[in-house]
Amino acid sequence: MTPTPSSEPPTRAASIIYMEDVTVNYDGFKALSRLNFFMDRRELRVVIGPNGAGKTTLLDVVSGRVKPESGRVIFGHSTDLLPLRENQIAQLGIGRKFQTPSVFVNLTVWDNVELSLRRASKGVFAALRQRDAAEERDRIAHTLDSVKLAAKADGMAGALSHGEKQWLEIGMVIAQDPELLLVDEPVAGMTDEETERTGELLESIAADRSVLVIEHDMEFVRQIARTVTVLHQGAVLCEGPVEQVQSDPRVLEVYLGRKREGADAVH
Amino acid sequence: MPKREVVALGIAAIVVAVVLPLCNLLPAGSPLAISNFTLNLFGKFLTYAILALGLDLLWGYAGVLSLGHGVFFGLGAYAMGMHLMLEIGSKSVYQSSLPDFMVWNQVKSLPLFWWPFHSAAFTLLAIVLVPALFGFAFGYLAFRSRIRGVYFSIITQALALSAWLVFNRNEMNLGGTNGLADFKTIFGFPLSQPATQRGLYVVTALVLIAGYVLCRWITATRAGKVLVAIRDSETRVLFSGYSPAAYKLFVFVVSAVLAGVAGALYAPQVGIITPAKIGVLPSIEMVVWVAAGGRGTLYGAVLGAFGVNWIQSWLTTSYPDLWLLFLGGLFMGAVLFFPDGVVGALGRLGARARRIVSRRADPAAATPSVSLGRPTS
Repeated sequence: MTPTPSSEPPTRAASIIYMEDVTVNYDGFKALSRLNFFMDRRELRVVIGPNGAGKTTLLDVVSGRVKPESGRVIFGHSTDLLPLRENQIAQLGIGRKFQTPSVFVNLTVWDNVELSLRRASKGVFAALRQRDAAEERDRIAHTLDSVKLAAKADGMAGALSHGEKQWLEIGMVIAQDPELLLVDEPVAGMTDEETERTGELLESIAADRSVLVIEHDMEFVRQIARTVTVLHQGAVLCEGPVEQVQSDPRVLEVYLGRKREGADAVH
Repeated sequence: MPKREVVALGIAAIVVAVVLPLCNLLPAGSPLAISNFTLNLFGKFLTYAILALGLDLLWGYAGVLSLGHGVFFGLGAYAMGMHLMLEIGSKSVYQSSLPDFMVWNQVKSLPLFWWPFHSAAFTLLAIVLVPALFGFAFGYLAFRSRIRGVYFSIITQALALSAWLVFNRNEMNLGGTNGLADFKTIFGFPLSQPATQRGLYVVTALVLIAGYVLCRWITATRAGKVLVAIRDSETRVLFSGYSPAAYKLFVFVVSAVLAGVAGALYAPQVGIITPAKIGVLPSIEMVVWVAAGGRGTLYGAVLGAFGVNWIQSWLTTSYPDLWLLFLGGLFMGAVLFFPDGVVGALGRLGARARRIVSRRADPAAATPSVSLGRPTS
């Protein structure tokens, strides 16, 4: 499986995630409606869209939290994700960062990363037997360095600030060594400086992985995005470079027609 | 295990497993003598402490609150009790080879499921395997369906209630309301002899120590960290590639086995096991021991089981009306005023005292420190 040059139209072989005709139905409300979506390997993709467009549901389907009513979801070359549970999908190499920081507050920062580390088995008996070798400890230390939390490794994760918890969670997802990272609104509630650092962090991650980011903050989208996908009513409205998407009349209409602040965000 | 804990555990182990039984050997007039009655009472408390360990592993670490552990305690106690009943043989009141209650209920032959309990080896195996298998089956269904939090607690309570109803029925051939009693010997040793009871006490103490070491080992491994992580954020655990259901099932089974073994040691020392010991109320009392002692520390659970029951045995003899009020007050107090139990409250008190002392000694160096809740062990 080799990545095809980006000039060619994307094919199954080149994509890291491939969704076809995916419909998610919450008691009559179609959160996703015959959605077609794919992403290339090593791509950093940003998904935007008004509230209720299905952005988080998209991540839920890829990470196994929500099972669609119909459609296909293929990871990499040919792995069907639909029959798999969340932890199995995570073990395959899909990491997910939640919108609100979810870290283990009663464990140390180090332990948080240690638990997330990619391992052949995450079963009970492996976890009872295994001790971390020097190699694992190096990987944990390296991850903590990359999210700038090395100095707080021995402190409890519960004592970290909001921004630090967000980075810790990103670090935990990196430690999983995923091929594909799903990131839900990473800069919500962050200061400008933290936002900028988070953007740099995501770009460095995207150097050798595929990253799918959901974001509201258009300034942040401009900082990191190469290709933007706009979701609307559970389907893809348009897709392309940031500037092109921002001037697309359909996008303007969706944001203007639905929500005042959404429109402000686009401009 | 940190060094301090090893030393403390060693001292406690020597006191409980060696010094107390030796004091029991002293002549009655000696100031350090411990009566047979008291040693037997302590033996009962120690069985409760074994159960409390497992409950703490489940609740204090993984955050899974079971209100039905009396059932597993009962399974172990009844398994042992059935063997002890059969050991009586025809020395019973009715001088039949059947247990007295079966004669009374006009059962003509020993029910099939009683037969294997003639064997001591089978009984010992059943004490471990019956709670384990039952815990596995129940836990598998509950955790696989992702029943958690208060819903899990409620169905464990329903389990305790239904087990109580089932064990109460005479048709079950388990002695009905009166349970199993009047045991004469255990593996050939007469239960009326102080030496036998002393032996049972020592075995109970050793099992408690082994159970403590087992639980501490689990919490010290990465699996132990996963348990704490499940309590903090089950979703994050799931998306980190672990199956929380598998980990919860594991500790549920471990705690069920500890409860079963505790029950099996309880029956011969107390001399009776009835459905009253396995219902809703005793199951909740077990949770109170752990809450009062302090969750998520293991030693808190042991101290809680011992302490609460000691107070109970004192109150029920001296002020019988006060016991239930005290128990209720204790639970409310534990929830409202010392959520981390006696152990946690003492820890905070100690930390405050140390801060005051260090501030007096060196006012410049006194910096506000952050309290992190659960003591790291």
